[in-house]
Amino acid sequence: MSDEHSPEYYKNKFIPLIYLVGAILIVGTIITFAADKMGVFTSFTNAIIFAMAVAVVKASAVIYIFMHLKWDIKLKTISLTLGCTVIFFIGMMWLTVGSEIDSNKPGHSDNTWNHVTEPEPETAPETK
Amino acid sequence: MEIPYNSKPRPDTGLYNGKAGIWIFLASEIMLFGGVFSAYVLLRVGAEPGTWSMGLMNKWVGAFNTLILIASSATVVLAWVSLKLKDWASFRKWKWATVIFAFTFLVVKWSYEWPAKFTHYDVTFVTEESASKVYTDVLGPEFSETQSKIWQERFDPLKKDQEKSPLAQVKLKDKPLDGHIVGYIDSDGVEHEVGAAWGIPFWSHAFAWRHDRKNIEKEKDKSIRYGEDGRPVYKEGHFRDTFRDKDIKAIIFVPAHGTWDREEKHASSGTVNYAEAKHDAGHAHSEGHGHTITIAREDISRLSSYEPAHSTFFATYYTLTGLHALHVLGGILVMLYHLLPVSRRVYEKNPVQFTNRIEITGLFWHFVDLVWIFLFPILYLL
Repeated sequence: MSDEHSPEYYKNKFIPLIYLVGAILIVGTIITFAADKMGVFTSFTNAIIFAMAVAVVKASAVIYIFMHLKWDIKLKTISLTLGCTVIFFIGMMWLTVGSEIDSNKPGHSDNTWNHVTEPEPETAPETK
Repeated sequence: MEIPYNSKPRPDTGLYNGKAGIWIFLASEIMLFGGVFSAYVLLRVGAEPGTWSMGLMNKWVGAFNTLILIASSATVVLAWVSLKLKDWASFRKWKWATVIFAFTFLVVKWSYEWPAKFTHYDVTFVTEESASKVYTDVLGPEFSETQSKIWQERFDPLKKDQEKSPLAQVKLKDKPLDGHIVGYIDSDGVEHEVGAAWGIPFWSHAFAWRHDRKNIEKEKDKSIRYGEDGRPVYKEGHFRDTFRDKDIKAIIFVPAHGTWDREEKHASSGTVNYAEAKHDAGHAHSEGHGHTITIAREDISRLSSYEPAHSTFFATYYTLTGLHALHVLGGILVMLYHLLPVSRRVYEKNPVQFTNRIEITGLFWHFVDLVWIFLFPILYLL
């Protein structure tokens, strides 16, 4: 966080914000746990969407307030670093997940890892 | 020679150097954990029905550790704010709280959660007949329905694989019976108890079965070579602490996880302290069950504790939680350093430098918390 804040800001604004984020994290955890224990998820897909949505909210609160990105996001170094990380990571995952998805399409026979040697094409007998 | 410290933000980055450095480091950490997460998700999605034992996770322990880590994330930022307010005593208070929370997390993980898994064993069987015999002993002659429920809860609690009908695909002999090994019977028919760790029966020869199988001499056609005494021949120097060395004829086994109700398990087993038996409620069982059973050595096709070699699920589980726990340990060491007298001297000499150090440590610690925020639902709930 930038240093322009006064001690009063930390006391009156920032510390209550810390407790607020702490409460969000605790409530998020309890909601996810309780939903699972009570068996409210009707399908695997619903469970993923719900649990990941809550996790993203919790993670955003941590990054935004605890890691000071609310105040630091304007700084180009952090923005560039995070931006490059996200782009690189998505690219890297696309290479693996994308290829997996393609190979699992119905009717597609994947022989990537079979290491089957292709038979030598028959060549016509040499003529003198 | 002293390394000069510059606490002023550089005009090109807008950050002091330490902070720019930690963000670049955290970016690399995102790559590391992102890769492992992706591996887990891919393996999970592509897993064959009946191979992903996620139903065995102790969700209460996972939720407790999540709350512990959340609390530590709040206290570490409170420690930093205390320094901003020039309150050293308050800083130490919040820093110690963070260390205690972090230490609690590791204690739960490394002294309870992991050891509880190392003391659970899966047994699969050589033939359908031997499996049927054991399951009848455990659950009664009408074991099929109860066994199916346990199977469903263990491998597919969210019914992800239901359409693939895993029960129809997997043979009974390959469906693992899980529980604790409380003793063994030697060739003279004498029963021996095994030791206990953390109140749970723990067989010190946890890896014996695997060694036993691996080190058997093979014929040229890959079949087992038998000696004149009719027993398998072992490679030289590879028989110590194995089934053969102890001449084990059978294991004495206490099935767990839903095979009978909790009260009866405790009543029948005395000192056995079971891990969560989440599937217990509503599972009727007939008279005479809840006792220990004996499984002959020749009926066992595989015996494995919930160690990393058990399955892809446990391999990825230990990789993810182990890597995360090492980060927690690293954070604890750095935070303890900040509580040493030498840190007080750094603070008195250059308060801005020390405050920035605490901020950087805090950024790392929040990242550790972030990883767990995603690990908890992925590993324990989904």
